[in-house]
Amino acid sequence: MKISRLAMNDEGFIFDPETGNSYTVNETGLFILRKLKEGLSPAEISMALSEEYRVSFEEAERDVEEFLEDLKRYGLWRKSHD
Amino acid sequence: MKRTYQKPTIVKLQVGLLRDKKSSLSRLLRREIDGVPVRDLVERFGSPLFVFSERRLRQQFRYLKRLFEGYYPRVEFSWSYKTNYLDAICRIFHQEGASAEVVSDFEYEKARRLGMSGDRIVFNGPYKPKEILRKAVEEGARINADSLDEILDLEEIARETEKKIRIGLRVNMDTGIYPRWDRFGFNLESGEVLNVARRIAAGGRLEVVGLHCHQGTFILEPEAYGRAAEKLVRLARRLEEEFGWTIEYLDLGGGFPSRNRLKGLYLPPEVAVPPLSEYAERIGRALLASLPPGDYPLLILETGRALVDEAGFLITTVRVCKRLPDGRRAYVLDAGVNLLFTSFWYHFRVEIEKEVAGPPEPCVLYGPLCMNIDVVEENALLPPLSRGTRLILSPVGAYNVTQWMQFITYRPRVVLVTEEGRVEVIREAETLEDIVARERIPEHLR
Amino acid sequence: MIKVAVSGINAVDNPGPGLGIIKGLREGKTPVSIVGLAYDAMEPGVYLTELIDRAYLMPYPSEGEEPFLNRFLYIKEREGLEVVIPTLDAELPLFIDLAPQLASYGLKTFLPTREQFRLRAKDRLPGVAEAMGIKIPTTLSVSSYEELGRALSELRFPVMVKGLFYKALRAYTEAEARQHFQTIAAEWGYPVILQEVVEGEEMNVVGVGDGEGGHFGLLAIKKLWITSLGKIWTGVTVTHPGLLTAAEEFVRHFRWRGAFELETIVSGEDIYLIEINPRFPAWVYFAVGVGINLPERLLRAALGQEPERDWEYPAGKLYIRFTDDLVTDLEIFQHMVTRGER
Repeated sequence: MKISRLAMNDEGFIFDPETGNSYTVNETGLFILRKLKEGLSPAEISMALSEEYRVSFEEAERDVEEFLEDLKRYGLWRKSHD
Repeated sequence: MKRTYQKPTIVKLQVGLLRDKKSSLSRLLRREIDGVPVRDLVERFGSPLFVFSERRLRQQFRYLKRLFEGYYPRVEFSWSYKTNYLDAICRIFHQEGASAEVVSDFEYEKARRLGMSGDRIVFNGPYKPKEILRKAVEEGARINADSLDEILDLEEIARETEKKIRIGLRVNMDTGIYPRWDRFGFNLESGEVLNVARRIAAGGRLEVVGLHCHQGTFILEPEAYGRAAEKLVRLARRLEEEFGWTIEYLDLGGGFPSRNRLKGLYLPPEVAVPPLSEYAERIGRALLASLPPGDYPLLILETGRALVDEAGFLITTVRVCKRLPDGRRAYVLDAGVNLLFTSFWYHFRVEIEKEVAGPPEPCVLYGPLCMNIDVVEENALLPPLSRGTRLILSPVGAYNVTQWMQFITYRPRVVLVTEEGRVEVIREAETLEDIVARERIPEHLR
Repeated sequence: MIKVAVSGINAVDNPGPGLGIIKGLREGKTPVSIVGLAYDAMEPGVYLTELIDRAYLMPYPSEGEEPFLNRFLYIKEREGLEVVIPTLDAELPLFIDLAPQLASYGLKTFLPTREQFRLRAKDRLPGVAEAMGIKIPTTLSVSSYEELGRALSELRFPVMVKGLFYKALRAYTEAEARQHFQTIAAEWGYPVILQEVVEGEEMNVVGVGDGEGGHFGLLAIKKLWITSLGKIWTGVTVTHPGLLTAAEEFVRHFRWRGAFELETIVSGEDIYLIEINPRFPAWVYFAVGVGINLPERLLRAALGQEPERDWEYPAGKLYIRFTDDLVTDLEIFQHMVTRGER
């Protein structure tokens, strides 16, 4: 899985050593990336987000889905069963 | 205590786009218009919604009046109806002392209906239907003739009424700006104006008492007005000497810019658009320098955009969020080019009703029409927006509520925030009934 | 120690003047600390920590006056800035407009006036050249296909097709000219300027006007070798008396204030004015190298001091531009993209 190789710092700077691409994420983006790295599922991450932040589970779930779409587009993540 | 949430985002860093992001955010926020919260406006009157500020309209009018009167003693503002002919808006300007500048039968009748007498109406335009022209003559409107055919029409009316008609001549000329609007009126440099004047004098039925010149729209060169004023004064002198007429007014038209952002102009309007005081100064200086002291014809100005544009806002709501195949974010709004005709030429200021956290990203703002041309802004820099977020577009006060079209859907409400902070509907939203009322179904299709 | 902000630190194939100015300031007698203003995190100056003490990302001038001013005041607060030397065409009008406001915050500049800045428009060149007592190539401004056709029948090929402020393309045929006309009109609007090409030596003058008709030094050079982008790669100092007199006349007549560059073509006795730049050129270090430290003189003028005015220089000094390499960590890049500064 690509996520595990990414270098991330606390300020949200992400470097992909394989492609040489850099990215920035905001606080919640970094939160999701770290949870993905820990191996959490999208549903678990949405739950964690709504526990940590002032956001409903439904809104978090929709945003996580959109975020994962972005990761997929950048080639940083695949659905495990694809 | 839970932390404040922001929509998660990831942005790929690309050389050439690694620019400063924080500083551009502060200007994106607009919670209220003249003290009325955007949220209340939408809850009460719906979205999309045009909002006009009475305070801004009056302030801008008074500002411009004082400004021009500071440079020239006799100034009349004639409200350009085509820019925005909603009754309430016209009323405000008429209350402030503006006369009416109209360019068609509809506009002429609307001005009369609003209580403007004929002599308070300036009648321009390349085609004035005979019936309305006759009416305007009878009611003593200031008519600026645009072509020889129109002069023939006027002479015919003079013959019928057996009265001499006082008219103005629209003149086009080289003032050093591009494009040159030379399809209206009579050309100065080629001698056309003088030929026409000779023709008029020989006819003996018309008398020229005014000169009119409208150079174009959104003119960013104040000196062009100075040059126009100077040339008109010289022409007036010539006409007075040669034909014994008295030129009572010089009408410099409109075309003064607002602080809107013309497409193709790199610099922000604060820098690219010269302050209106420069226009006033050039005009005043040119007039005073070339007129004999004490003999000051009336200066008429037909400012439209510069008076109304910045007093108008459109509140619209993000209805759909999507990603385009090329990775850009896109939003579908409930207002498109059907309501924002001027988006073809201008980049509006895009503001958000509430603070939205997250890094701004280039995105496209689409309207709700099922057509490819329905793009409100092809490159806005906005933080990640969620569905239902309200955006405030401005300035939209000029031309939109006259050039908007009824296409596919209904046109929304227009409200006015009064000086006391009340909100009044000045145009109701359209209904199906409004639109079908003028349709007729032939018997065999019933 | 004077804190000076300098922009244009994009030393790439079309370099900004920033690094040349900074080298000049560093070699001057006034001790300085340099803040670099960048519009992209990848501008090379950002990574040159020896030359530039601190670097900040700026919003584009096109985003509006307010964000630009806010960012600038933030940097001023953080750094205790005293002087700013803007160098890019796109930001100059903004700085000229903001100069009084900046001054009220204690930030000094030494810039041309709005009126002087407008002289750079190509349609103003005939008047400027006349005031300087030199010529311009036959020039016509056109704003329609019809006018273009008429103009092309009056001009000799090749012609230059130019935007009012930026960009110039050379056309050898009518078809080419029509194509360039479209390109330029689409990008820079009307009018489009058509100009006959004059054969001769390409000579440029750099200087700093004092705003009262005098100047703090001039330097004339000839371009010996230019890159495919038309940027100077090697040059040589010249002391063409006619050209230097014309440049002094330019400063005197318009009471020019601040840095400027005049681009000319010299053909025998005839001098043709091609362009006016209301700022330092990217090769301004050439002046420093021959003993006329124009960047430092401009700094001192901004500080209200009386800079030197001597400007004797030998003809035949060479200017060689060269490329260099630098290896560094991702750290600076990281800071620039996450914090917007380093």
